[in-house]
Amino acid sequence: MKSNIVAVMKKEFSRFVGDRRMIVMLLLPAVLIYVVYSFMGVAMQSLTSPDTDHNPVAYTVNIPDTIAMLAQTAGIEIERIGSGEAAGIKDKITGKAADLLMVFPADFDAQVASYDVQTSNAPAPNIEIYYNSTVPNSLSSYNIMISMLDAYESSLANKFDINRGIADSDLVTAEDLSASIISTLMPMLMLMFLYSGCAGLAPESISGEKERGTLATLLVTPLKRSQLAAGKIFSLCILAFISGLITAFSTILSLPNLMGAAKDYIDAGIYGARDYMFLAFVILSTVLLMVALISIISAFSKSVKEANAAVMPLMVIIMLIGVSGMFGSTHTELVYYLIPLYGSVQSMSGVFALDYNGLNIVVSCISNLVFAGIGVFALTKMFNSEKIMFSK
Amino acid sequence: MVLMGVILQANGLNKTFRLSQKQQKLQKTKDKFKKAVDDLSFEAHEGEVFGLLGPNGAGKTTTLRMLSTLIKADDGDAIIDGASIRNEPEKVRAKIGFLTSELKLEDFFTPNYLFDFFAKLHGIDPSTAQRRKADLFKKFGIDEFAEVKVTNLSTGMKQKASLVISIVHDPNIIIFDEPTNGLDVLTAKVVTDFLLELKAQGKTVIVSTHIFSLIEKICDRVGIIINGHMIVCDTLAKLTADKTLEDVFFDIYEEKVGRIV
Repeated sequence: MKSNIVAVMKKEFSRFVGDRRMIVMLLLPAVLIYVVYSFMGVAMQSLTSPDTDHNPVAYTVNIPDTIAMLAQTAGIEIERIGSGEAAGIKDKITGKAADLLMVFPADFDAQVASYDVQTSNAPAPNIEIYYNSTVPNSLSSYNIMISMLDAYESSLANKFDINRGIADSDLVTAEDLSASIISTLMPMLMLMFLYSGCAGLAPESISGEKERGTLATLLVTPLKRSQLAAGKIFSLCILAFISGLITAFSTILSLPNLMGAAKDYIDAGIYGARDYMFLAFVILSTVLLMVALISIISAFSKSVKEANAAVMPLMVIIMLIGVSGMFGSTHTELVYYLIPLYGSVQSMSGVFALDYNGLNIVVSCISNLVFAGIGVFALTKMFNSEKIMFSK
Repeated sequence: MVLMGVILQANGLNKTFRLSQKQQKLQKTKDKFKKAVDDLSFEAHEGEVFGLLGPNGAGKTTTLRMLSTLIKADDGDAIIDGASIRNEPEKVRAKIGFLTSELKLEDFFTPNYLFDFFAKLHGIDPSTAQRRKADLFKKFGIDEFAEVKVTNLSTGMKQKASLVISIVHDPNIIIFDEPTNGLDVLTAKVVTDFLLELKAQGKTVIVSTHIFSLIEKICDRVGIIINGHMIVCDTLAKLTADKTLEDVFFDIYEEKVGRIV
């Protein structure tokens, strides 16, 4: 009877939707992700961007006037010191009290002028630059000096230029760039969010009921074990799906904050209805499989606590599968899409990258569904097994 | 063959459990298996209260769990109102009401919600379910607490709610494992009175207990179980013709097991 499955599903919905604690648990990841990602974005930016309140100061030994002038135009103040003071400045840099130390040979300009790459036997004139990479001002003035000196060096013996007068040589479209960023990050994040949704619900619903003896009350009604298994898995799947979607939505919202400078390139509007439809199918079939797997582990466990510990290895596997999607290009061969969960990541990568084959995605969904079906069957068998249901 | 008037017939029920190492230590045995129920046969007649009497660990609960299809018999079968526990467990579950203290109600829900939910699982039409709910809730005083979550109910009220929900489908056969265990005197009386009322309605009641007075008060026939064996099964009147049930039981126990220290 279908109505029994529906009755079990309704009960599960009332159980979770009516419970403030569960609702908070499902929504909390979304809020946390938004806050954490936004905070991380701001923190990372402030970590790498120099302090604009005061200009970096470079302590220099024997700096030629030309280079000193170039440095000053780049916003670096030059403080000339004697070679005897260099060791003290180095200590100051280590102690974060000074930004930069540059030591030039005494007759730098003359050495450079007489040096010939082809004929000289001696090594080229050498400049020593000391900095502290954890101090933003120190790091940025080091980078400025390096690129400035590089440019100065090439201007001394200019043979050819690259991209002179061309402002933007990267011909990528904003859409492609957006798709590339999203497709690198989102499949992994989605898999983790979906997993955390499933793992937050299934142990409570299955081991929890087993632990509290309420599952046995259901087992003495005419309700078939298969109806109980299906009712539980379907309702948990829908709840985990909703939780995953909310979290994904919050991620999309917070990604621009996280990406900082690249934020202009992130736009979820580049995807069309067809893309979202494929995505929904992939996510639904993935959630169904995850719920089935976690439910089986939960049914084996004697308590929610034990179930939460027992699902750990599954979490590690799912994280690895998720991370696999971040590297390399998406597979196009059908065989990869037959592997449950891995196929989901490949499909999501494809859809997010706007470069996919519909057949592969359908195959991946079917593969997930077949394995989820096997899971429902196994759970039914477990509900029938007194050894599993009543083991103490 | 099922005899006329026999509503439950158990034939050669067997159940063996595997003992974990911890259980072996607790029970001071090296046997890996324990035969909880050994070739147990008995019958219950329509409209009677049948009592399974025995000490703890005799196999009473295991027998009732097999009858309610919560666990499977290793061997043997029982026919309950024409349905086999072995082959038609769902049919059996539709015909019986089973209550034990191990079957709990979900803390999160109210008695009202749970009654409706279980009525649906039993396929009871909503109007019948509502009528029955009103009657039973009133009888047991649950009506005032119908919208209170189970977690906030008193132990007695929880037990009453469990009882009411176990008979949501108005079953003809009611199986109660230790019906008055852990109840205060008032709730225990409500439960025993209700069992007698069920009998008066023509229902068959099967209870397990180790309390002699309960058997004497409500049972028509008694089966005494010791170490998984059914030692005696007869009417209460015949068993207690010469001496009290307590004396009968201890005489049998000493004969079968040895002196009680």
